[in-house]
Amino acid sequence: MSMSQTPMIEMRNVEKHFGDHHVLKGISLTVKKGEVVVIIGPSGSGKSTLCRTINRLEPIDSGEICFDGKPLPEEGRALAALRSQIGMVFQSFNLFAHKTILENVMLAPMDVLHKPQKEAREAAMELLKRVGVDSQAGKVPAQLSGGQQQRVAIARSLAMNPKAMLFDEPTSALDPEMIGEVLDVMTELAKEGMTMVIVTHEMNFARRVADRVVFMDEGRILEDGTPEEFFAHPKTERARDFLNSIKDH
Amino acid sequence: MRGAGLTVRDVLYEAPGAGTRKKIAVATAASLLLLALLLGLVIRQFAIAGQLDRKYWFFFARGTTWSFLGKGLLGTVEVAVVSGILAFAAGFFLMVGRISQSRISRALCTGIIEFTRGVPTLLFVYFFFLVAPQLGIRLHAFWKITLPVSISACGVVAEVLRSGVNAVPKGQREAALSLGMREGSVFLKIIFPQAFRVVIPALLSELVIVLKDTTFAYVINFPDLMQNASVLISNYDAMLSVYLLIAVIYCIINYLLNKAAEAVAVRGKEKGGAK
Amino acid sequence: MRIEELLSQFGSQYVRALLTTWELTALSAAIAFLLGTAVTVMRISPIRPLRRFGDFYVQIFRNIPGASLLILLVYALPYLDVVLSYRTCVLMAASLIPSAFCSEYLMAGINTIDPGQIEAARSLGMTFGQIIRRVVIPQALRSSILPMTNLLVATMLTTALASQVPLNPRELTGIVAHINTHAVGGVTAFLISAFLYCMTAVAIGQAGSWIDRKVRILR
Repeated sequence: MSMSQTPMIEMRNVEKHFGDHHVLKGISLTVKKGEVVVIIGPSGSGKSTLCRTINRLEPIDSGEICFDGKPLPEEGRALAALRSQIGMVFQSFNLFAHKTILENVMLAPMDVLHKPQKEAREAAMELLKRVGVDSQAGKVPAQLSGGQQQRVAIARSLAMNPKAMLFDEPTSALDPEMIGEVLDVMTELAKEGMTMVIVTHEMNFARRVADRVVFMDEGRILEDGTPEEFFAHPKTERARDFLNSIKDH
Repeated sequence: MRGAGLTVRDVLYEAPGAGTRKKIAVATAASLLLLALLLGLVIRQFAIAGQLDRKYWFFFARGTTWSFLGKGLLGTVEVAVVSGILAFAAGFFLMVGRISQSRISRALCTGIIEFTRGVPTLLFVYFFFLVAPQLGIRLHAFWKITLPVSISACGVVAEVLRSGVNAVPKGQREAALSLGMREGSVFLKIIFPQAFRVVIPALLSELVIVLKDTTFAYVINFPDLMQNASVLISNYDAMLSVYLLIAVIYCIINYLLNKAAEAVAVRGKEKGGAK
Repeated sequence: MRIEELLSQFGSQYVRALLTTWELTALSAAIAFLLGTAVTVMRISPIRPLRRFGDFYVQIFRNIPGASLLILLVYALPYLDVVLSYRTCVLMAASLIPSAFCSEYLMAGINTIDPGQIEAARSLGMTFGQIIRRVVIPQALRSSILPMTNLLVATMLTTALASQVPLNPRELTGIVAHINTHAVGGVTAFLISAFLYCMTAVAIGQAGSWIDRKVRILR
């Protein structure tokens, strides 16, 4: 069990400002290997920013972030190499518009991991089949529905064999009928033991899949516990208000 | 948090780390040095060639020089404004002809538009300068430059206006028709005013091209800025300084026109966004 | 003058004029594209003096009238002891001005890319160079096909400046001036050149929209 001693992600006293706006206030968070952590909170609470600091898409002002036991490199090839080990899925899919679905998934393995084309293609087709869009491999992103695009985005990240995956509101830009298909893929991933940090508003998904739920408000982590504890007995007033406000919908 | 107006130019670079900051600082210093060197070389060349001599520059301190150049500029502006108006009028009719129901009118106007867009202004200038007199057409010098410049611009104006008309939502026309308005007045009162507002920036950009084309006035000896400049040159034997100054004047005028076009475009977008 | 007469007397000169116009256009456009790309690289670089210089360059050459630039190159530069051949002057004028517009179109093309794609590429572990080569340039080029074909036509129109200097062989505008000052060419001489210009412009336009249809990025 010595392997699981090193946490996958460790944040200590992380501070971050956008100009005058103090977005992250003394954030400390540990994610163990294989753990699924769902971050929830009202909009503007800093949860997306927190997610984006883990692969340094947002640099931080102070504090420390370690990934798999090593502090995040500041820049350059070392940072790029670290990022290749962390998958990230965005709210707006961000598929490469000029490449086909298959090419989207093959690009980074070939460019970054220097895999031969044939191998990259086979692996990509395998992944597309796994997320259920293999029949669309030759199309370009704009020809796919939002749900399909997001599943491709997940496949694109998985093609790098990441040690962990970050999801920044992956279903917020989707039509309601497409949310399920994306959450299903994520649920599968969680079952297979992927380490995941997920920012979402899907409470049922959090209840079902999360090992831990983290509640954020105004740049602070206010609660951190199992979904059972959190949804049944929120400790803070803020969390109770938040849960009530989303129940109405 | 993160602005919605973020462009690629903004996100291309990440917040630099210590190493990158150092590299940027070195590159900045090196490029500053290089640019200074370049500027120094140019000035040195001026000095070596004796072009910094007082005799090439002193007359710019005289009011008469500027009033003479001002007269030339007035000629330039006259040609540009009249050309602009003519090009707009012709462009409007070409656009109407191009979107009309009649196939003949469409083909004819498309042909004229393509013709005026595919032929250099200078060739039109030579037409009015050398060919028209052979046909017994006697024109004042003003028209020998104004007509070719406006012909050269009208096709572009037509296409710009057409793109504006296409940008007006279909629902506008249908709504107006359903109120009982006639097709013609729908176009003039509803469609065209909206289209016009959209294309003001593009029309201003076209005005820059018109202004540039007026410089061919020297071919037919019309007293515009360029022509008056050459008079100045023969008076003071100062080719380099005068032509340089003229180029700067044209650049400044066109720069201001382009800035105006950008400002109008931004304002239009903001208005559109507020809807 | 009737067209048969004109062609028998000046036919071979027209062919050479057309080829000269094409040659000047192709050369100028190639130089303009290289210059425009270089300036664009400066304008998106993180080095501020280069950015400023690039912006300044573009403002100068998109605003200076072609005639003004040509006159400076031909008549004023010799006063700085820089004497260039007429052909070089024409090529410079016909490439410096389009290069500024080329850079503007490339910048616009770059700005059509969704910034999210840059972040996605970054989070996949792609380096800055890879992002530029694999994501930014291919998309910027594809979305600037139509502006670039317009630019090619504009470059062709700019090469008419060559008629203002004694260039041998003459190009399509120069030959009309030549014929009409040495013989009475009439409208026909003008129309032949105009027709050849137009056909070239239409051909460029058709080729451009064909390429654009092939590579256009759906959004």
